[in-house]
Amino acid sequence: MAEGLAGVDPLEVRHRPVYDEAEAAAFAPDVVVVATESPDRDTIDSLRDASLANPRPVVMFVDRSEPGLAEAAVRAGVAAYVVDGLAPGRVRGVLEVAMSRFQLMNQLRKDLDKAKADLVSRKTIERAKALLMKERGLEEAQAYNLLRKLSMDTGRPLGAVAADLLAFAGVLKGDAS
Amino acid sequence: MSGPLKLGFMPLDDAAGLIVAKALGFFADEGLDVELSREASWATIRDKVAVGALDGAHMLAPMVLAQSLGIGSEATAMIAPLALATDGAAITLSARLGLGPSPTGVGLADLVAQRRDMDASLLTFGVVFPFSTHNYLLRLWVAQAGLDPDRDVRIVVAPPPRMAGLLAGGVIEGFCVGEPWNAVAVNAGAGVVAARGAAIAPGAPDKVFGVTRAWAEANPVVLQALLRALLRALAWADSPENREALATLLAEPQHVGVASDAIAAGLKHVVFHRGGVTRPDPAQAMWLLDQMRRWGQIAPGADVEAALSVYAPQMHDQAAVLA
Repeated sequence: MAEGLAGVDPLEVRHRPVYDEAEAAAFAPDVVVVATESPDRDTIDSLRDASLANPRPVVMFVDRSEPGLAEAAVRAGVAAYVVDGLAPGRVRGVLEVAMSRFQLMNQLRKDLDKAKADLVSRKTIERAKALLMKERGLEEAQAYNLLRKLSMDTGRPLGAVAADLLAFAGVLKGDAS
Repeated sequence: MSGPLKLGFMPLDDAAGLIVAKALGFFADEGLDVELSREASWATIRDKVAVGALDGAHMLAPMVLAQSLGIGSEATAMIAPLALATDGAAITLSARLGLGPSPTGVGLADLVAQRRDMDASLLTFGVVFPFSTHNYLLRLWVAQAGLDPDRDVRIVVAPPPRMAGLLAGGVIEGFCVGEPWNAVAVNAGAGVVAARGAAIAPGAPDKVFGVTRAWAEANPVVLQALLRALLRALAWADSPENREALATLLAEPQHVGVASDAIAAGLKHVVFHRGGVTRPDPAQAMWLLDQMRRWGQIAPGADVEAALSVYAPQMHDQAAVLA
């Protein structure tokens, strides 16, 4: 943020994982930048309408004077709210920095989520395969082919079919958990 | 159209239409490739639909009207061709208020008066969005108790999944939210349901399926296919024999991500299909606009006609013939 606000003096940037209304009221920021993936967004968004709750009007910055900027910001996962009066040029700088950071972070997060999901799915498939081999006396390749056939017949991912199989096996054995 | 259709939803029981249509293949039966995206806030759903990052979404009916009027965001012409659920909201009060197992508005009014005499702080209530049926239901209930919702209590906005935690933590003393989040608070022992939406304003419009008018005009065939799939999914979700399977499906972490017993408890109150509730009746849009006007959200001169045209019952009826 500081990068986008270079030259502003005095400047103080605070990062908070959760929006704190009391702190925001005391600190009175000129601009609030929030990840659109943050559940706090509706709270901050609503402050524009609640003049009683917040004496400082917050306005979503992205306005008609910057065509395309709102769309770019939304797609990048950024929403910014600024108090009336901060020069639009400054906010543009803040938003641009925020957008590039958010895109990088989002990509990293997605990669991590996918890696985690892949790992879980692979473990589930291994367990389902082992179950089939034990219960049906199949070879490993046969067990895998059976899972793949179930997946293709039902149009569901292999990991999901494997998870179902394990769940049903649990129920049949009386283990409802 | 290139790539899958992207539809957004919030983790709530009344997102069932989209979740069921995807999971049980109702979209696929219509030849539709749909990707669901769980979103963290209503404002983000609104903005993503407006800029085309989502093709359509599970949306708050009054939010869609406000968006079309340019209140609270840039104006975007919207279409609501289908209502996704009704009567799923409830008002839950903190068990700590000591108003008993079934708190009443009278009990609340007495408590507010006592606290005023003691110079205690205002009781704080959470709603999910300024432009939400939940905000209006809470205000109606508070007003029916003889209180002024703008002066005698404090109303703040918080996302549905956080309500139970805020109540348990003592940050808010009550809330109005859709299920399963009332059931979650009750099951945790933090809250007591004071009033169901169905008792405050029976059949009040709640969630709709929303798209931009531009998208609807550019994709009329796809939209009809989506509506048919959603109508079938809503009929499936409403069948009593499917409720247990529905609770299990919604409980999955990528959907609502809450224990299925809380989901099942909440689902008892949601109406998805029966009684013609899927039809977006302009009379309901009128009711919402009246609420918005009553609480000062829209100016007397607002373009009510434009807002009414958001509700598109003819698109619904066309799809219902073939669904």
